[in-house]
Amino acid sequence: MTLKMNRRGFLNTAMAAGTLTFLGTAGLRAQEGGTLRFGLSAYPPSFDMWASTGTAAGTVKLMIHRGLTSFDPEGALRGELAESWEVDDAGVWTFKLRDATFHDGKPVTAADVKYTIEQVAAEDSTAFRRAQMASITSIETPDDKTVILTTADPTAVVPEWFAHYHMPILQEGAEATSMVGAGPFVFDSLERGVSLRVTAFDGYYKDGEPKVDAIEVIVYSDENLRVAALEAGDVDIIEYVPWAAMERIEENDALTLDTVPGPFMYLTFNGTKAPFDNPLVRKAIGHAIKREDVVAAAFYGHGAPLAHLPLDESSPYYNEDLANGWEYDPEKAKALLAEAGYPDGFSCTMLSTAQYGMHQSTAEVAQAYLMMIGINVTLDLPDWSTRVQKGNEGQYDIAVMGTSADSNDPDGLTTVLDGSAKPSYVRSFGIETPEITEALNKGRVTFAEAERQAIYRGMEEAAIEQSPCVFLCSRAQGYAMASNVTGFSNLPGQLTFYSGISLEETALS
Amino acid sequence: MTRAERSLYIWLGVAAILIAFPILAPVLPLQPTIGMDIPNRFAGPSAANWLGNDEYGRDVLSRIIWGARASLAVAFGSAFCAAVIGTILGLLGGYFRGITEILAVRSTEIVICLPPLLLAMLVITILGAGVLTLTVALTILFVPNYTRVVYAATLQTGGLDFVKAQEAMGTHPLKILARTVLPNIVPPLLVQFSLTVASGILLESGLSFLGLGVVPPAPSWGLMIRAARAAMDQQPLLLLWPSLSLAGTVLLLNVICDRLQDVLSPKTAARGGAAWLRRQIKRTPDAPAPDVPLLKIENLSVGVDLDHASLGLTKEIAFEIKPGETMALVGESGSGKTLTGLAMTGLLPNALSVTGGHAWFRSSGGAVDLAHLTEDEFGPLRGNEISMVFQDAAAALNPVHRIGDQLCEIIQRHRPMPKAEAEAEVVELLRKVGIPDPERRIRAYPFELSGGQRQRAMIAMAVANAPKLLIADEPTTALDPTIQAQILRLPPPRRAGGRGRACGCIPRSASPAPR
Amino acid sequence: MLRYVALRVLIALVLVWLVSTLVFLVLHLVPGDPAELLLSAGNSAPDPVAVAELRAQMGLDRPVLAQYASYIADLTHLDFGVSLRDQNPIAPELALRLPRTLELILAAAVIACLIGVPLGTLAAMRDGGWSEKFVSLLASAALSTPVFVVGTTMILVFAQWLGWISAGGYVPLAEDPLRHLSLLAMPAATIALPLTAVMIRMTRASVLEVLEKDHVRTARAKGLARGPIIRRHVVRNALVPVITVLGLEMGTLIGGTVLVEYVFNWPGLSGYLVRAVEARDYPEVVGIVLVISFLFVLLNLLIDITYAVLDPRVKLAK
Repeated sequence: MTLKMNRRGFLNTAMAAGTLTFLGTAGLRAQEGGTLRFGLSAYPPSFDMWASTGTAAGTVKLMIHRGLTSFDPEGALRGELAESWEVDDAGVWTFKLRDATFHDGKPVTAADVKYTIEQVAAEDSTAFRRAQMASITSIETPDDKTVILTTADPTAVVPEWFAHYHMPILQEGAEATSMVGAGPFVFDSLERGVSLRVTAFDGYYKDGEPKVDAIEVIVYSDENLRVAALEAGDVDIIEYVPWAAMERIEENDALTLDTVPGPFMYLTFNGTKAPFDNPLVRKAIGHAIKREDVVAAAFYGHGAPLAHLPLDESSPYYNEDLANGWEYDPEKAKALLAEAGYPDGFSCTMLSTAQYGMHQSTAEVAQAYLMMIGINVTLDLPDWSTRVQKGNEGQYDIAVMGTSADSNDPDGLTTVLDGSAKPSYVRSFGIETPEITEALNKGRVTFAEAERQAIYRGMEEAAIEQSPCVFLCSRAQGYAMASNVTGFSNLPGQLTFYSGISLEETALS
Repeated sequence: MTRAERSLYIWLGVAAILIAFPILAPVLPLQPTIGMDIPNRFAGPSAANWLGNDEYGRDVLSRIIWGARASLAVAFGSAFCAAVIGTILGLLGGYFRGITEILAVRSTEIVICLPPLLLAMLVITILGAGVLTLTVALTILFVPNYTRVVYAATLQTGGLDFVKAQEAMGTHPLKILARTVLPNIVPPLLVQFSLTVASGILLESGLSFLGLGVVPPAPSWGLMIRAARAAMDQQPLLLLWPSLSLAGTVLLLNVICDRLQDVLSPKTAARGGAAWLRRQIKRTPDAPAPDVPLLKIENLSVGVDLDHASLGLTKEIAFEIKPGETMALVGESGSGKTLTGLAMTGLLPNALSVTGGHAWFRSSGGAVDLAHLTEDEFGPLRGNEISMVFQDAAAALNPVHRIGDQLCEIIQRHRPMPKAEAEAEVVELLRKVGIPDPERRIRAYPFELSGGQRQRAMIAMAVANAPKLLIADEPTTALDPTIQAQILRLPPPRRAGGRGRACGCIPRSASPAPR
Repeated sequence: MLRYVALRVLIALVLVWLVSTLVFLVLHLVPGDPAELLLSAGNSAPDPVAVAELRAQMGLDRPVLAQYASYIADLTHLDFGVSLRDQNPIAPELALRLPRTLELILAAAVIACLIGVPLGTLAAMRDGGWSEKFVSLLASAALSTPVFVVGTTMILVFAQWLGWISAGGYVPLAEDPLRHLSLLAMPAATIALPLTAVMIRMTRASVLEVLEKDHVRTARAKGLARGPIIRRHVVRNALVPVITVLGLEMGTLIGGTVLVEYVFNWPGLSGYLVRAVEARDYPEVVGIVLVISFLFVLLNLLIDITYAVLDPRVKLAK
């Protein structure tokens, strides 16, 4: 394979963004000040900074810590602790660090980065990026501000790895749960399960940021109460706005709603038993569901039907001719079923969860539509924990799932589509689609955009034909805030859960 | 049929009509419960959909009626299963005692200790949600209630004579349980049953609200409330219908439970409560006051007020007492001696009243007709000018107050004075009626005194304010004859001038009536 | 008396031990794995190697009975262990959250008594009258409305429409007493509503029964006015069974305020329990159940003792 460095459009933008960022340290903070009260949807289950502890934990991590890279409000990759990076022909990545300091005043050095990568990749690690970091074969630190990474296979997405909120750089020797970071806010105090307080870090490497004196994070697990708290003025900003309340918030002059279409709902199948081992049956299901109704019933109209892979129209990998790949066509669905040998349909169970309304509503609508083509569906709605285990162990026929991709790049869909990976509840059980796996592997090590486009086009065609899973709709993921909150941005597409990064720019006026 | 029974049947009829809807749901012309019509979601009430559409455009009315099936099936099913299991455990534990008791009754206490929600969560997560699991979970929750009730009732019944008699005759214990004990514990069981059904409905809704209940798309009230709460902005009415159905049903069950209690234990069924607590209309006697020496009873009759008619109990009694006289009222048991005494003090039980005649009394304010006084007018007379010694001192004394306090109360009511002074007077009184060590005894509770001492305390109370008229209803039952005589000759307590005291005495039997 | 109490405490301890053992064993039957769940947060697919490693770190790779044995061994030193999720010690967390739930329940009980006893007495005194019918209807309605409907409606009216108080949350009393009380008001009122209904019904029934008693007639024969009779000779006697029921109800509330804590974001013990169950945090669940059941048993014992104080006839030894 050949590597053509200067044609990596998506990386060029990223590097530009990285170098553009102002270099000054310890700038003055803006005059606005004040305490921002943030209504979070869940209390972080743990403060293991590298472990996958959920999106709510991610928001908190983004207040305290910074990674080498991040995404800007437009969704482009930009530098954080790394000020620039480049890759050579052999696929070796060199990161240059900026002058940043940790909350305890010590500078961020190459040794800290090396330590972080080693810890994440360690034998006893439980980290989210463990597999990726383990694929880094050598870490060289020629000086304090340079890190040179070599991966087992040349990889195009290494800088993206470091943009994830579960991949912050911690100080050399620090515990995984360390609250001392290089981020814009210093950890102040917490009350487990209830609230958390961080204060502005005056040594933050971006001038004039953060713009508020402190953030008070208050956990509201009930979505209705979260909205009520915002309306009652108890908090200034909330995440995970329930779809039922979006219209009301939009109509309220004192509040602003910021939504992006991003996370998506889909059906997964258990391919180890009939009839779901048959691609025709899976494709039939893809054609049987009227996606507008899922959007209307589960998301109160705040979403969009999704009859292809979850790639946004603005993405260079969007294929317009495939956009209606699984278009709603009950006749076609019945024909496919008949072709598969089930002209009279069959009975099966559908796994979802009663714990989250959107999962349950999606399941209910899907069930109603599957009934219409003769598939008699019984719902299984245990609590979320049971649902996860059942999904991992394949104790289901069809399952409803909702998630966001790791990034806006098609590679971010790996966890959902790659059937060759170990069983997981986020993807179908026991369905291997070699075409898709191959395309994903190829795309990861291909640097040329046109070539990648072709690879991922093939993948999408295969996905629609084989239907390892069936996509239903994308949903609007929203933050809502009081009108005096400025500077907060909901990152586009799949990056919406990275939005905590913009808290550094958020101000109260 | 009594009023309570009639009321019960009326409410049972209402319940039956309401229950008919869900039972007949399959044949009623209802719209399908699971047919979605998403474009018309949240549509308001219309001719076709009387209660409007829900969040999937399904007909709310038919979902309410079908939902009742799930809610009621779970509630009745679990209440019934728990009743059967709990009754068996309680019967066995209460009858056989010993190791059976530990196994059957004490073991259910483990369930009581567990937070109910945790128990339900565990059962449901292990077995998977659904109507059947819900019923199992609620049954486990309810069993201890029944076991406790039945256990207590069995202990009581098991000690009764006729059960003992059967035991002596060698009847098989299980036969005794089934034939004798079981029928006797039916009343508390029925009450418990209606209570558990009501709480079963509430629990079903709570669990469904948490997503642990009925599995959609089958409707249940709890599920409907859960869905409606999320869509409160879009269609607030959706929250109203299932909530109303739920609250209405539980309300109905509570009412039936109350009526059932009224019917099964008629003692508390004296609806109307205590008449003396109501404001009474002042009645003026229909005859002018005659010249009375102290007490003059004229044609006094007492009767029972029934729904339609009144039944006479005593008829036209007449007698006269002069100051200083002692008069004994003698008669067969049940002839109305006590009633006459009570009528003179306005203390007749609720259902009874004076139906005719007069009871003229010369009070310090002039002649009054005791048969026509209101509760308020009696206030200054009772315990002061007229007092009464009751039959059963153990019941007549308030068990939760000390003897001294109960005596001080009557003194201070009519002669305001500091507590210490009143207490000194009480000690003196108690000494006079022959209670030893009165200084310590005034600190005693009634149950700490012997029967005789209680009777003396009762008498002390009656004479505390040196009444003009003392009515004694079998005052000396618990005392030996010598003391009887001694007590009845008690001089009036120190009080300027002293006054002549009369005594109306209702002796227990004719022979020892003191003269 | 002392021997009786000691015996009861002993029985209580055995009972609590049985309950916690039962919960410990049953929990392992429940599907869901704490390690997998923790790493699956945010709908990500965890690395199976990381999950296995975390399971080992949590000690879940050992047989259930071995886990139970070491748990009990720790417990004998009053060590409740640490949370599986973040190694947070459980005992201090319990100590922090228990008072909040108790405060909620106590506040509700006070409200219920202050409203329920007078209303119940009134209903009994006016038995059969319109005011009795009205009070009884109110009580039944309060008893039959689910707490989550009441809670939601209260938030809607008082926080969202009128904007009088915060929608929910918690502030320590020491930090801001006024705000603390304002946050306490709605959840306490929500719990108090059905509790008040129970108080009304119990008080009414009990007062009706006492009114029939001979000693009330005695009190009337003394010439006492209605007020003192009701206060001293009726309500005082009627309170004994009422207090018993109140105590029992409070006992069941210790683990039963889940919905209210959830709806109002009150960080008490019940919410803690639900979250622990959701995360399958075994030691946390068992620790919480241990405390709840112990308190429940203790409360029942206290009720029996209080019973003896209120009604001197009752002797404890039986």
